[in-house]
This record gives sequence, structure tokens and C-alpha cells, in this order.
Amino acid sequence: MSVLAPERTPVLEERSAEPAVRTRRKDFAGLVLAIPFLVLLVGTVLVPVLYALYLSLFTERLSGLGFSGPEHVFVWLGNYVSVVADKAFHAGLGNVALFALVHIPSMLIGALVLALLLDSAVVRLRRMWSLAVFVPYAVPVVIGGLIWAYLYSPTIGPIKNLLGIDPLSDTAVLPSIANIATWQWVGYNMIIFYTALQAVPKEIVEAARADGAGGLRTAWSIKIPVIRPTIFVAVVFTVIGSLQLFTEPMVLRGFTGTVTSTWTPSMYVYEAAFVAGDNGRAAAASVLLAVICAVLSAVVMRFSTRRSSR
Amino acid sequence: MELSPALRARGLSRRGFLRATAALGAAGLAGGCSATAAPPGATKVTIWSWLTGMDKYVAAFNGAQKDVFVELRVIAAGLSGGYAQQTNAIRAHNAPDVLHVEYQGLPQILLTGGLRDLTADMADLESQYSPAAWRGVRPDGRTWGVPMDLAPMVFYYRKDLFDQHGIALPRTWDEFRAAAAAVKQVDPQARICSFPLNDGSFFAGMSWQAGDPWWTAQGDTWAVDIAGEGTLRTGTFWQSMISENLVAGVVHGTQDWIAGMHDGKLWGLLGASWSVGTLGRSIPKDTGRWAVATMPTWNGKPSNGVQGGTAFGISAESKAPEAAMTFLRWLSTNPDVPKIGSTFTTPFPAHLPNRAVARQAYKGGYFIGDPVYDVLDEAAKRVPDWTWGPNALRLFSTISDSFGPVRGGGTTLPDALRKIQQSAVADMRAKGLSVREGKSA
Repeated sequence: MSVLAPERTPVLEERSAEPAVRTRRKDFAGLVLAIPFLVLLVGTVLVPVLYALYLSLFTERLSGLGFSGPEHVFVWLGNYVSVVADKAFHAGLGNVALFALVHIPSMLIGALVLALLLDSAVVRLRRMWSLAVFVPYAVPVVIGGLIWAYLYSPTIGPIKNLLGIDPLSDTAVLPSIANIATWQWVGYNMIIFYTALQAVPKEIVEAARADGAGGLRTAWSIKIPVIRPTIFVAVVFTVIGSLQLFTEPMVLRGFTGTVTSTWTPSMYVYEAAFVAGDNGRAAAASVLLAVICAVLSAVVMRFSTRRSSR
Repeated sequence: MELSPALRARGLSRRGFLRATAALGAAGLAGGCSATAAPPGATKVTIWSWLTGMDKYVAAFNGAQKDVFVELRVIAAGLSGGYAQQTNAIRAHNAPDVLHVEYQGLPQILLTGGLRDLTADMADLESQYSPAAWRGVRPDGRTWGVPMDLAPMVFYYRKDLFDQHGIALPRTWDEFRAAAAAVKQVDPQARICSFPLNDGSFFAGMSWQAGDPWWTAQGDTWAVDIAGEGTLRTGTFWQSMISENLVAGVVHGTQDWIAGMHDGKLWGLLGASWSVGTLGRSIPKDTGRWAVATMPTWNGKPSNGVQGGTAFGISAESKAPEAAMTFLRWLSTNPDVPKIGSTFTTPFPAHLPNRAVARQAYKGGYFIGDPVYDVLDEAAKRVPDWTWGPNALRLFSTISDSFGPVRGGGTTLPDALRKIQQSAVADMRAKGLSVREGKSA
């Protein structure tokens, strides 16, 4: 930045210059200011994405025992075809879809209810409550996952005794993972919603109250509609987060055989790249995952704007 | 912290002790990393490894001579990232001189074509290694690695409880089933041991004993036999143990497992040589309760599996292969290494003279009954032929994935094994490898 600073001075000095020149100079300044961002965008996003696209078109072909080393072969969309046809990838998508079905409603409704309670005047010790709900977000996901894994462990953890079911069995493991994620994220989203609620104009709320609306009616008919855009942004983030589910099942995998190595699409990518050593297939799967994320986010955004404009 | 194990060391010669102490001190000054300055004129050798205590070995080596200077970088263990990092480094042509490979991972690393053929460099050492370890670094008859240790499987059991309830130590798998039933009868909450289904290398070790190797290099073709008679026999036996609820399913090493081991809910462990260290660390208060024996056998025929074991390879693109070899020969065969190792673990070297050194340095006192090294030695002698295939590491995930539904009754071990065979063969063929199904000719 210190290198760029001198270039800005002339722009400020030439205020009296012709408007055309001024806009051109302004554009130039904007460009200069954008450089740090552009460098990071290119270096950490665009180049890796393009490299992944490139990698996804190649595979390593061996022959005989394979000890003479691999040959790089261009396979067009062969890696994509094998990922799309892979039952393990389908199963992974199915798992995150189910996970999203459990996690998104419970987490967002929970966060919204907590935020509305915080926003209403009835809550005492507001700071303590918000901190208590928010704290899990400050716990690193792996640590949180390990703590839950101990709680879930059939003989040393209390949950099996309390509920009478083994939280790590093949039927219960998905809700167990959704529970970890919900615990982790409910506080974060509560803060987002609470902040949005703070911005709801007091006049509207007071007008509603003057018209005889109770607390529930105010929340339902005034507050929630006003913060709807915020809610939709939270939905988009949660949808993307659910698709990329990785850490929680990865941690539980060390405790139970019911979580497979390709349990979610992200784990599928990890398995392909780091266990099978198949970078082409890993790249193709991650490109597909990115496309699915983009499409789903677009759908949710579209839905959101349509609802808001109504 | 660096010095205390060395100070506690017994059986170290005074010179060796001083040398190790000085070297460890130097390592300590450098913040636990071996990047002290190389002596002028020394050839630099880089090594990536996740072996516990490698920093101490490297420091001792650097302190003992001036010609070669080894620089260690500790990497994530095996499938937690170590293999991926090494394979990618080979692909990117910036691999270190020395790479960490386990016997089970060696053929998969070899697929990158990134290892140096060490056949000529190692030829003179053949007779000094445990045959199982020697075969482990020679999947196709050429030598690709320098063996470090070997991990034969053994049976650890609560001798106090077995004796108290008059249950004899099972010597065959049939006796093992009877003993398992007896344990459950004594305490309905207790089981003879756990049989973790999410650990492919454990199941491979159990199948190894049955004498049907999963892979064999036949000329230029892999013979793949994961659903062979021996493996299916192993699978059928353990399926019946699981169906009859005679074994626990808890994963080795978890808190659940440690609690079970300590509280008398698990009376045994189908473990490996490194479990000596695991037991000492996980349940240190259990001194005088446990004993070690060789694995039960199939109908009394002495045979024993292996779970794990480390070797080191040299990068094909290394600029200093001779210096790397000097270090690896020292690491594998110098008696100082097991002496240092014995201060913080229970090493079981692949190098036979060094194993004698480790046996001497072993402190003992934890186990009752047979001396640990006698049992391990006997177990190592019983190891039958086995070759790891080029997809072994990936197969461990496939095994764990396919065995997942077994406990819920979704599939059985023999059915899962037949499917694993199919998927392994398809996977290898898709890579372009030459594969033949079934037993080696």
C-alpha cells in the first residue's frame, strides 16, 4: 500500500481538471485500490479453480504392476462421467440432502425463536443468554465433534442411556451429526437475526402494538417479514454449508464404522484425492459439487427475491 | 522434556549415552527440530517422516558423524495426510531424499514411479532382517525400501481374570470361541475382546494369518484374491462371533475402548507389537493384570499376521542417494537406534541384531507371564508369505465402508468380502493395471 500511496496524490491535486479526465483518473484509482483484492482473488480462487478444471480432464494410466510410474492421459469428461455414475457419490448427495432436511429447519427456526426472544423485552440476563448460545460457534469444529463423539459413545457417554438408542448406529448417526451442526451454528445465526431485528424501525413495532398486536403477532406479522432478506441469506449459507459437510462426519468416522469414507460429497473428494490418490476424479467431483452449490444458491436467491417483491 | 527419557535410559553405553545426550540437547536448543547448522562439507539429506522419536534418531545421527547432515520434517501420519503429501511431492518433482513408507503403503507409493531401486545397495543385508520385513520391501522381487520395524500381531489378555475364573488361554480359534463364551458367562457385560470393523489394516492382519495373501505379483500381473479360502474362513469365523454377540465392536484406541479395557469389560486385545506401548500409555494403572501370547491359530498350525510396520525409501530424484543410504543403513542397523527408542517406546526392529538390543533395553514390569520379546519373536517367525497390493491403502477404506452395515445385520462379512474383491479388481483395472482374479498360479 505504501508503494501505491504516491500515485493517489495527483488525483487529489487535479480536482479542477476536465470532468472526462477526472473520471478516467478515478477509474484508475479504483483499479489501483482493487489490486490487493484482485491479486488474492486470482491467486487463491481463480487459479486454483482453473487448475482444478484442468486436472479434472486428466487421469493417470498405469500398466503391468504399475511400478514403472504413471502416464498422464487426457480423458475429456471421463472423470465427470465416472463420478456421476458412482453410487458412492449419489449416496453422499443423498446423505447431505437428508442432513439438510433435518438441520436447516431445526437450526434456523431455533435461531429465529431465540433471536425473537432476545429481542423481546421479557428476557432477563440478555447478554449471558446470547453468549451461552453463541459460545459453541467459538469452539473449533473438530473439538466440538470430539466432545460430541464422547457423549455419543455407547459405554462412556450418557446419551445412549438417556435415549435408549445408540447415537452412533447406522440409523441414528445422521441425526447425531445434524445435532452437532445445529449446536454449532444456532448461536451464530441467532446473532445475525438478532442484529437484523435491532434494525427493525421502532415506529412500526409501536404502531403494531398500538393496533393491539401482542408479542407473538408482532413477531409473526412485523418482525419476521422485515428481516426476511436476512433469513434468506442465512438459508443460502446454510444450504452451501450443508452440501460441504465434512468435519463432523469425519470426526465421528473414528468412532463408528457407520460413517463411510465417502459419506458426504466433500468426503468423497477427500477420499479420491488423499486416499485413492486420484486427483482427476477428486477435481471432477469438486467441480460438480461447486456447480450444485451454485445452482442451489441461485434457486434459493431467486425464491427469496420473488417472495420479497410480493 | 527432551532429556528426561535419555537420563532414565538403562543399558546405554557411557559414550553412546553422552553422544545421545549431547545430540538431544542440540535438538532441544533448536526447538525440537533438527535444523541445527550442518557441519561444513557435509552432504545434506532431507527426510519426511511421522515416526515417533525420529527427531531423536536424527539428532543422534547428526551428532555421531560429520559427513552427512539429516534434516527432518515431521509430516502427518499415513492416511491422515502423510501419503498424500509425499505422493504430491513426487508428482511435483520436489520430494525429499528419504520418504516414510509402511509396508502396506509401499506398493501404492511405487505407482508414482518416485522411488529408487535399492536392490544392489541392500543386497548384503538380507540375512540380517526378519524374513517378513525383507519380503515387505520387495513386493516384486526388487528392493524398494529399508525396513525399520515389524509389527506381528499377538493376543494380549487379562491373565488375572482368565486364571481367577479358570478359563484356559485359547490356543486355537475354536478354543477362542469357547473362551469368549466363558467370559460372557462370567460377566454378561464383558467380552473377550473387540473386533473393530472400521479398521481395514486390522482385518488384513487377521486374514494374513490364514495364509491366503490378498495380492501376489506374478511377473507383470497382480493376482488379486481378497475373497480366498483363508480370508473367507476368517470372515465366517468372526461373522459367527459377531452374530452370537461374543465380541465387542468398540474401535481400538477410543475412550470407550480404554474404559472397557480398564474396567474389565474387555478381557483381551488382538493387537500388534506396538500395542505394548498403547497399553502402557492408555491404561498405565493396569500393571500386573495383562499377559501376552501368540495369536490363537487355525487348528494348531503356527501362523501369525502383521499389522503395520515402517520402512523408508529413497526418492528416485534424490541428489544425494548415497548419503541417504548411509543414514538409512544407520537408522535400520545401528544398535544406538533401538537403545534410544527404548527410552520412549517399545521398539521391535526388523533388523535381527538390533532386535536383540531392544530386548536387552526393555524395562518390563507391566506384563505378567511370558517375556514380551520372546512372544513377539515367536510371532514374527510365524508370519507367512504376504504381498501388499498397489491399492492396499484405499482398500482399507473400502473394507471399513463395506463392513459398516455388518453389525446392524445389513450384510455379512463373507458377502462383504466377495464384493470387496470385485470392487478392488475393478478399481485396479480402471487404473490400467494388469490383474488376474483368484489365487496365484
